[in-house]
Amino acid sequence: MHIPDGYLSPETCGVMGAAMVPVWTTAGRRVRSRLGSQLVPHLALGAAFSFLVMMFNIPIPDGTTAHGVAATLVAVLLGPWAAVVSVSTALVIQAVFFGDGGVLALGANCWNMAFVGPFVGYGVYRLVAGRQALDAPRRALAAGVGGYVGLNVAALFAAVEFGLQPTLFTAKDGTPLYAPFHLSQTVPAMALAHLTVAGLVEFVLTFGVVRYLQRANPALLRVNPVNDPGAGPAAPDRPGWRTPALVLLGLAALTPLGLLAPGGAFGEDSPNDLDLRHYGLRSVPVGLNRWSGFWSHAVLNGYGFHNGDHPVVAYLLSAFIGLLAIAALVAAVRFLVAGRSRKAEPAVR
Amino acid sequence: MSTTKSTPSWLLDTQIGLCPCGCIGTRKKVNLIDQTIEGVSGFVRRALGTDELANSDGVLQRLDPRTKVVVTMVGLVVVALLRHVPLLIVVAVTGALLAAATRLPVGRFVRRAWFVTPLFAAMVSVPAVFNVVTHGHVVVPLGHPFGHRFGITGQGLRTAALLTTRVAASATVVLLLVQTTSWPRVLAALRSLRVPTLFVQILGMAHRYIFQLVTAVEDMFLARRSRQVNHAIDARSGRMLVGATAGALFGKAQSMADEVTLAMTARGDRGTPRALSSGPLPRRDIAVIIGAIVLMASMLWLDRALGR
Repeated sequence: MHIPDGYLSPETCGVMGAAMVPVWTTAGRRVRSRLGSQLVPHLALGAAFSFLVMMFNIPIPDGTTAHGVAATLVAVLLGPWAAVVSVSTALVIQAVFFGDGGVLALGANCWNMAFVGPFVGYGVYRLVAGRQALDAPRRALAAGVGGYVGLNVAALFAAVEFGLQPTLFTAKDGTPLYAPFHLSQTVPAMALAHLTVAGLVEFVLTFGVVRYLQRANPALLRVNPVNDPGAGPAAPDRPGWRTPALVLLGLAALTPLGLLAPGGAFGEDSPNDLDLRHYGLRSVPVGLNRWSGFWSHAVLNGYGFHNGDHPVVAYLLSAFIGLLAIAALVAAVRFLVAGRSRKAEPAVR
Repeated sequence: MSTTKSTPSWLLDTQIGLCPCGCIGTRKKVNLIDQTIEGVSGFVRRALGTDELANSDGVLQRLDPRTKVVVTMVGLVVVALLRHVPLLIVVAVTGALLAAATRLPVGRFVRRAWFVTPLFAAMVSVPAVFNVVTHGHVVVPLGHPFGHRFGITGQGLRTAALLTTRVAASATVVLLLVQTTSWPRVLAALRSLRVPTLFVQILGMAHRYIFQLVTAVEDMFLARRSRQVNHAIDARSGRMLVGATAGALFGKAQSMADEVTLAMTARGDRGTPRALSSGPLPRRDIAVIIGAIVLMASMLWLDRALGR
């Protein structure tokens, strides 16, 4: 999954690197507050561990061996933010010192393997493990499932990054300038490899290590206090809401920029705008014709007012209404989940 | 007593104790334990070899590491922006010539830069040459299976060539930096170029302790092999062994981190990393940076002038 230099455009690498800057900054702040003066040695040794675990050969059913990424494993053992720093450090050393993965593509590789992988894997782990005891087999299974899902989602991101290249970066004669395969090819190819082999390797590695530590040295699992629900309530490790809220509001304020873009969005043409010859069609398909007009009661149809006046105001209004709707939905889900958790907890006498 | 700076040849042999020509037989290493031991030994061997090259005397080795880091980053961006295969080949060949000029073993350099990752890129891009993946002018028709025209397109051939040569040129640029600059000097350059000191400190310490832990991994696998009568190891036992070894490794890493923290505290560390500031860049290095940037800008201009 290590993307070498040359597969992604410099623009993609720049965007992915820029996307990683706030992740690294937040990770640095969070681990500093948790580890204090132990910060550097623990993260450095975490990175060294992460680097070496990636070198382990794991037997797979066809009689050969494969390597794991171990991002979820590091997240389970050290916490997700420490995993961001440790896995990123391991990836930098691999890229610069051993040429495994690109230097320019470091942002993309870190996004996939040091951010998406550990966070998704850790989320699945927490969800499946619930409040099981430290030595419960379900906790080890949860770690394995987290590793499997985390790696597959990271692979999906890599596939999307590859698959966007021929759509966005081609020469005038249509020659793809970077990775040549489209999304319809990269996503199934990566999914096949990771759902069958690489994901299972990650499952085996993550499950095996957590199960071993449960039996041989459970104290090591307590390095991440969240793993031990019996040790009392762990300090909440929730991100603050102010910065994301400000970023979202800033993005909403920038939405009218979409009006400057020429042409329409990919795959969003109305039936009348379709280039039928391009798709080898003689007429608009019956189903498309019927269902494209199925819902015509939108409040701000096409992100604009019905009479088409004040497009910038309509765009801004659409963005803020959309944000409010999503916030209301998230609040409702949170309220429901919190209600379930309260019922599940035994009453304190 | 005479001393030598070079790595002993027996350590560089991939098959220790056997004749390199294979006249007394070769040892087949397919076992999981052997494979891992071979992997970690190979890692140490490569690291020692690279370190040795970076500390040898040569034109590029003598340059300030900051110069090399800046030129490498600019070089990588320019390689990513080039759209013509011949220009990418020029970059890769220039890199190989520079490697020869700075006394790097050219054969090994070329093999690593042009044949490892680029070969994989070439294999991956094979399907892209066909018109089912890359549309365009069919230059090699291959018949009409299932009623559809099938063949190799000019655009497909060009994209495969672009990908392979770009990967090779990028690897050449990075390898020139890695093989002519030792890791501590790369870190010092990153610090001078305003990369956060905390991150550089973590990078430096992680690199140092990788070598400590790699020895622990090798010891654990060697201990297991020495206790094993039968050479073969079944898959289930192999997976359990990997889980146990990685778990034990995590324990060693944690206890080592605690010891390092205590040692750092004992020496007066207060958790605020500090670094020595590097001096100003020598004039020769400034000239090298300007020359490299002008050269690469000319290549970009030529690339755009060639059109497409």
